[in-house]
Amino acid sequence: MKNIILLSILIAVLAAFFASTHPDGLEKVAENLGFIHKGMERSSVMTDYAVPFISHEGISTSAAGILGILISLGLFWATALFLRKIAK
Amino acid sequence: MHIPDGFIDPKISYGLMGAAVAVLGYCLHKVKAAVTALAPREAFAAVGRGVKSLTGKGRRVLTKLGEQKIYLMGMVAALVFAAQMFNFSIDKGTSGHLIGGVLAVVLLGPFAGTIVIAAVLMVQALFFADGGLVVMGANIVNMAFFGALLSYYIYAGLKRYLKEWLSIGIAAWCSVVIAALAASLEIGLSGTFALGVVMGSMLKVHAVIGLAEALITVVLIQIFRKVVPIGEGQA
Repeated sequence: MKNIILLSILIAVLAAFFASTHPDGLEKVAENLGFIHKGMERSSVMTDYAVPFISHEGISTSAAGILGILISLGLFWATALFLRKIAK
Repeated sequence: MHIPDGFIDPKISYGLMGAAVAVLGYCLHKVKAAVTALAPREAFAAVGRGVKSLTGKGRRVLTKLGEQKIYLMGMVAALVFAAQMFNFSIDKGTSGHLIGGVLAVVLLGPFAGTIVIAAVLMVQALFFADGGLVVMGANIVNMAFFGALLSYYIYAGLKRYLKEWLSIGIAAWCSVVIAALAASLEIGLSGTFALGVVMGSMLKVHAVIGLAEALITVVLIQIFRKVVPIGEGQA
């Protein structure tokens, strides 16, 4: 179990430093066809996979990635713990 | 392939939100049945009333295996979240990233896998502003319903005739292309841009991204199975 979590963190950190910053397939199509402006810019706590108070881009994205991994994991683990608790 | 708010007509968005709720409700129902069993006291009482009541009503509690299954779903969610961050260049100025639908359903089974993809999409939209809120239903239909649930049956069908890794690869490619076509259809029907043109352009780009999806999915499933010894998901 621990290994998969570590692998996920490794992938996220590598992504923070080495992932392509080009628009993805859908964004590129929207750019080329000229309807990208119809998409609304939204912001959230970690907009664009960055933690606001960390200025270094790579570290900020790594931190956002690790937080995202923990949230995704936590969602399910909390559910399991809750269900186990009410089973008693 | 996360659609932002504004690309899709609100009426279509709400319709797809309803569809997403129905799909996830059904998946949750199936997973709940798989990870729980009738509480012992109710089970004993049920024996007297015949086998049918064993699977029917009564208080259901989480089983040990069920608990393991939910932990496993969390791990796959973490892996899919991380892998989706890794945009790779596919062309001058264009990137793609894993969706992970086939990855999730092959590791967890169709229903648990679909829930995992939907959960990752929700986390991305809520915390990272990746993908819109009004269109969350559309994104769930595209990537969790088409990209995961439907693609599971492509994989399962192919597996009867082909080697497993090949079935996984082809299903992964199909999952990206079908999700792209679904997104195009929604954008086209919303009047955002001419349907035929959007569909053609999306197909061209995602036919290439799908190849990467296939490769990454096959490799990650190999790694996952090495690290976590599990059978094929049943829920």
